[in-house]
Formats: sequence, C-alpha cells, structure tokens
Amino acid sequence: MSLAPPAFDYESAVSACARGERYALRALYEREARWLLGVAQRIVRDRQLAEDVLHDAFLQIWQHAGSYQPALGSARGWIYTVVRHRALKEVRTAERMHAIDPQQLTAAADESQQHVAVDEDRGLDTLSLERCLQRLDQVQRDCVIHAYIDGYTHEQIALRVKAPLGTVKSWIRRSLASLRECLS
Amino acid sequence: MFVVSLLSSFDLSNADDRSAVAGEYVLGTLEPSEHLSFEAILMSDQQLQAAVHSWQDHLLSLSQRAMPVQPSINLWPRVEASLIAVAAQSVQTTQSARIAQPVQPAAVTTARPSTQQAISEPSRSPIKAGSRWWQQLAFWRGLSALAVAASMLMATALLRQDSRPPAGGTRYLALLQSPDQQLTGWIVEVQSGGTVRLVPMAPGTPVPADRVLQFWTKPKDAASPTSLGVVRAGQTFELPVSQLPAVGEQQLFEITLEPEGGSPIGRPTGPILFVGRSQKF
Repeated sequence: MSLAPPAFDYESAVSACARGERYALRALYEREARWLLGVAQRIVRDRQLAEDVLHDAFLQIWQHAGSYQPALGSARGWIYTVVRHRALKEVRTAERMHAIDPQQLTAAADESQQHVAVDEDRGLDTLSLERCLQRLDQVQRDCVIHAYIDGYTHEQIALRVKAPLGTVKSWIRRSLASLRECLS
Repeated sequence: MFVVSLLSSFDLSNADDRSAVAGEYVLGTLEPSEHLSFEAILMSDQQLQAAVHSWQDHLLSLSQRAMPVQPSINLWPRVEASLIAVAAQSVQTTQSARIAQPVQPAAVTTARPSTQQAISEPSRSPIKAGSRWWQQLAFWRGLSALAVAASMLMATALLRQDSRPPAGGTRYLALLQSPDQQLTGWIVEVQSGGTVRLVPMAPGTPVPADRVLQFWTKPKDAASPTSLGVVRAGQTFELPVSQLPAVGEQQLFEITLEPEGGSPIGRPTGPILFVGRSQKF
C-alpha cells in the first residue's frame, strides 16, 4: 500500500502569487515546470522556444494571479491554460509565416496517440476523462487530442485525420458536447 | 451584444453553443479573431468564465499525454530575474502615478515586442536593472517605427479575419503614442458604421495589480472625454462605433492608468500612457 503524496494546494499558491509572494510561484514551478514544459514543447516543437514560452507564461501567471477566481475552477487547470495558450500564440504566429508541411505534421504527431504511462501520481483525475473519451469514435477522439496536445488548428487536424474541414469542425463540437454530458 | 456577431459560428444565447465555444477556447481551436472576441466577452461574462474553468478542469488530464521535459537549470533564475524587474517597474509606476506625472511608458513595459524577431531578444533574457535596455531611447525609437508598421499589418490582418463584409464607410486610424512620442503602444482603427478596434503593439504590458488601463475618446469639439471601457494590456479591444459619441478626424483617443474598476469620476484621473488623434486612412 502506498501513501498518497500530500496534496499540493494550487489555489493557495496562486493566491499567494497575487499577494506578491515569490516563493509561491517558485513552489508552482518546482511542482509543475517539467510537466508544463512537456506540454509547451509538444505544441511549439522546439526546446528553446518551449522554455521561452514557459518563462513568459510564469510571468503571466504572476501578473494575473489576482484575476484567478477559485470559485470557478482549479488553479492548476488555469495554469495549464495560460501555458497552452501562450504556446499556441507562439506557434500560430510562426505558422502565419510558414505554410505547414503536411508530411512534417504527420511525422511530428506519430508518437502522440498513446497515453503516456506515468508512474508518478500527479493527483489528476485521468479515469473519468478517459472513460468518456472511450465513448467517442476513434477519429473524433483523435481530433480532440490533436487539438489539446499538439495544438493543431481545425485545418491541421483535417490534414492529419484526412477529413474535410467542415467535418472536423462538427466532430470537435460533437465530441465536446458528448464529453460534457458524460463528465457532468 | 456586439461581439456576438463576431463569433459568427456560435450563438451565445444558446446554452450548448456557449459551452462549445468555451470548450473550443480552452482547446485552442477558435479562429484568431474569434479567440480575441471571446476573450473580450469573457471579461464581463461570469457564466462563460465558469464554463471555461470547467473545461480547463475536464481536459486537464489530457496533458498527461505529453512527455515531461526537465527545464534547463537557468530557466527559473530567468523567471525570477524578470519578476524582480517587473516589481521594480511597478513601484516606479505607482510612484509616478502618485505625483500625477506622465508615466514613461517604457517604465511600465517589459512585454516582449513579439512582432519583431530581431529585437525580441532583450526581454527574453532576464531584464537586468543595470542594463535597462528598455529605457534606451534608441531602442524605443527603432521599436516605435517598426511597431507602427507591425501594428498596421496586424490591424489589417484582423480586419480581414472579420467575418462580416467591410461596411464601406470611412476608415480612421489613430496611433496612440506615449506622451514623449517615443513609443507607439496601440493603434485605434475606426470603420464608420462598423467597429472600433484598439490593437496593442505588443502583448502583456504589465499593469500594477491595483490599477487598470482605461480607453477614452474625445471628438474634436467635445467638452470632455468619454470612457470606452477598461482594456487589457496586450489584447485587442473592440466595440461598435455606435457607442462612440461621434466619429471624425482629429478625434482624440487615449489610454490612462486608473484605479481598479476604472476612473470613479467618469473622467481620466491617472497619468496618460498613450494618446493620439485620428486621421482619415
């Protein structure tokens, strides 16, 4: 029998950031940086750029900690959105200048579909979401995962799963509706 | 709701659509113009904020599919150095505000000017109080010219993304510059009969925690400015032209630093950060 790790209080840490307590941001960093960097790097596909994204995102977390409202949802969820959106902004700005090579897109995403086995208990409720994802058709599930993990646009997903753009858009909508119903 | 029309593929009066657009916002699959419009609505829509948070939590465990990556050893020191720089500047800004002097915008700006690769380096490395690259005149002069060009492009790009056809009315632009005219911080674009857009030059200008940026206009012959709302640093702000008291050339637009919630007296109280007049374009 293993003991559950002591719960880390993300909400208190973010509140402390809002009060200007730097140790709290450090604690968040110590706790999440390697996971967040993994998320960012998967989207921007470049190690140095991913670190830049994480740097900027931690400044954003620090500066906007006061706007986070604990009553609405977890601080951890908020932090991941800050990092993911920062990474998306980076990669989408770059993409406006370079057309994406579909070959590269395919190659980059090939490792993406399996669930990463992680020994560490990160206190994430993986089971509920996985159970609900399993209810979706494979291709619809892939659309959601490509969007979240690879940071793909509708167009990139359409290329990747070889389906018309309109179909991909409605698959994502339907998948979200189904996930919402299943999770609530 | 004016911004609703910008989110052409979603009906925000419909509960399912609201949840869907919140979900797509979190996923990151909204079109850039939709993303910006959604953020504008989000600021004042508590229900949507709740929907966004719930999606963030629903989807969080997906992040487990990305392999962890150990950050390099100097990443935290870089973050910390930037925190210190931001704190130093906030103090400076608050002090300036207290004695009601125009704030040097450079003193409240650490945002990386992301539109220019060549000059993006300084803010990416920790900002050292000793070097103060952000206070160097030459830097801001160069940035200013580039920023105008970049912001023009950005404004045009945003216009093109707008799903509605152009109204065909007169178009005005105002470059909002720091009082010393060293830095163009924002661009205002007015399409008569259409939308007013306030487009930032660079994302994420830090604002002291207890202060906000407020956007104002004063038509040429008006007696006093009218508030157009509180805006977020680094984010495009839009509103329908019908909310302006008037539209014309030489119309004043400005951004001031105000107490939380905006000026309590309906007129600008804080220092002027950026100001400019409209020109026919």
